[in-house]
Amino acid sequence: MVCVENLTKRYKGTLAVDKLNMEIPEGEIYGFVGANGAGKTTTMRIIAGLLAPTSGKVYVDGMDVSKEPLEVKKHLGYMPDFFGVYDDLKVTEYMHFYAGLQGIPHGKCKSLIDSLLELVRLANKKDAYVDTLSRGMKQRLCLARSLIHDPKFLILDEPASGLDPRARVEMKEILRELKSLGKTVLISSHILPELSELCTSIGIIDAGKLVASGSVHEVVKKLAHSGKLRIKVIEKEEDAVKILMEMPGIGSISSVSGVIEVDAGGGEEEYAKILKTLVSEGISIISFQPVEGSLESVFMHLTERGNGNEN
Amino acid sequence: MKINPVIEKDLKTKLRGWRSTILICCYVLLLIGILVLYFAGNNMLNPYGVRSFNPRMAVDAYNLLITFQFALLFLAVPAITATSISSERERQTLDLMLVTRTPVVKIVLGKIMVSLAHTMLLLIASMPVIGVVFFFGGIGFLDIAKLLVFYIFTAFFVASCGVFFSTVFKRNIVSIIMTYIFLGLVTFGPFIGFLIYTLMQQRMPGGFSPVYSQFATMLFPSSVFGFTTFYFGGSNMAYGYYGGINIFSSAAQEIERQLALATGFWKYMQPWLLNGVFNILASILLIFLSTLVLNPVHRKR
Repeated sequence: MVCVENLTKRYKGTLAVDKLNMEIPEGEIYGFVGANGAGKTTTMRIIAGLLAPTSGKVYVDGMDVSKEPLEVKKHLGYMPDFFGVYDDLKVTEYMHFYAGLQGIPHGKCKSLIDSLLELVRLANKKDAYVDTLSRGMKQRLCLARSLIHDPKFLILDEPASGLDPRARVEMKEILRELKSLGKTVLISSHILPELSELCTSIGIIDAGKLVASGSVHEVVKKLAHSGKLRIKVIEKEEDAVKILMEMPGIGSISSVSGVIEVDAGGGEEEYAKILKTLVSEGISIISFQPVEGSLESVFMHLTERGNGNEN
Repeated sequence: MKINPVIEKDLKTKLRGWRSTILICCYVLLLIGILVLYFAGNNMLNPYGVRSFNPRMAVDAYNLLITFQFALLFLAVPAITATSISSERERQTLDLMLVTRTPVVKIVLGKIMVSLAHTMLLLIASMPVIGVVFFFGGIGFLDIAKLLVFYIFTAFFVASCGVFFSTVFKRNIVSIIMTYIFLGLVTFGPFIGFLIYTLMQQRMPGGFSPVYSQFATMLFPSSVFGFTTFYFGGSNMAYGYYGGINIFSSAAQEIERQLALATGFWKYMQPWLLNGVFNILASILLIFLSTLVLNPVHRKR
């Protein structure tokens, strides 16, 4: 559905996106993760045809965004991270306006708008002025707007930012419905547990480069390697700690009620060596497992670099 | 026929409520006020004053009204259009429009048409006031119709300028200022240039007395030049108090005199026609440039 090839965007000497390659198959909910300033919004704006790339190509449904922008826009819905609404319009008028801009015949508008407002749970607000809506409602209205022409592909830039927990849950439910409707969605968010629940695949962008891409499980496995081991012993807990402390390359060690957590640092070879040493020293081990990381730990790892502002 | 959604939405929001109605009423009342003050100032409303009516006064009143309208067109239209795109950008709604299937040129034209519709509304609402001069004769329906066409051409150009600067500059205030500066240069620049040229030529041996073709080739971009067509030989007596109008009145009379003396091609090239053609061509260029600036694939940021 979406193919990004060697995408580069440079702003007056600052490299926002650096030879980025990405592919989103049809029907995928693709989560786009990265620290502020990593190049997420720039990439999304280029895919949406709102920004010209310095170099590289973007194809949506096989069409080149820079060569066939109007054709691409037929299949693309876009919801930016910051967006405005016309305060002096009613909800239905707002939707009619965008339906008109998308070339939807007037006759079809009413039923279409009603069904979309139903989808985003705003049916009871259709005669309200937009400025009377809460932030969460405005966000949902904007989502309904981006769906007005029934696009195959949706770009949602931080759809849950600034929302309270209830509004986030509502937004998540709507996104689930979109998933069930078979839409291809590119979504960026900082609410990572929600993202990992929703997304079928994920891409991690750092300093304009896609550092990892694949299913959520694959990416977490690859990047969230914590280097920690959790060892459960039946007895000789103190002896085990002492042995571990004497081993080279071992970091922090904590021990509570027979469960020892140790920062082993290295990889599988190191783990095997630790296990072999403990067993040979007569420690009775009932479980020995690496501590699994999370998407959040991946994100934290990336944001530690302290990149600049959002692009 | 499908209405441009930008026009539909903007007119809906701008005409909603009492604001527009009050604005139109104020405008018409202002024109009536000017007319009444003019007649009162010339003793025409005093039952013990002038008994015999001078038809020249009706023509002068007409001149005064259309000059006021012309000035208002230059002041009001940029105020509407110079913020049309930049305010969408400030409100963060521009991207939402650009990501739709509507071509950029349609969005730009929509914004221009909205301001034209507003201008037309004000002009049409003021017609009954201007029509008062029909009671006294001297001005024909054709003159008024021609004037309306000229106003539309001019408003189209002024609106295109406003939209163009609105696409170039991100902030409303900068866009408004730049539009007024640009319009000031296009309107008065040719007159200043022509004056300097004339003064320089007059210093040459044999002197210099410009003919219509020279007026036309140098002044055609100025809408004030085009407007001289509709200025009915302004009375110096009536405008003696207003220096600016007096100068303009003299210039209008001189251009009118030179046009009467013109022959061949220039005989048919009336100021309003020349300026009208310039306004249309310049507007097309400005719309094209606006589209180019606004087109997302050309945008740097």
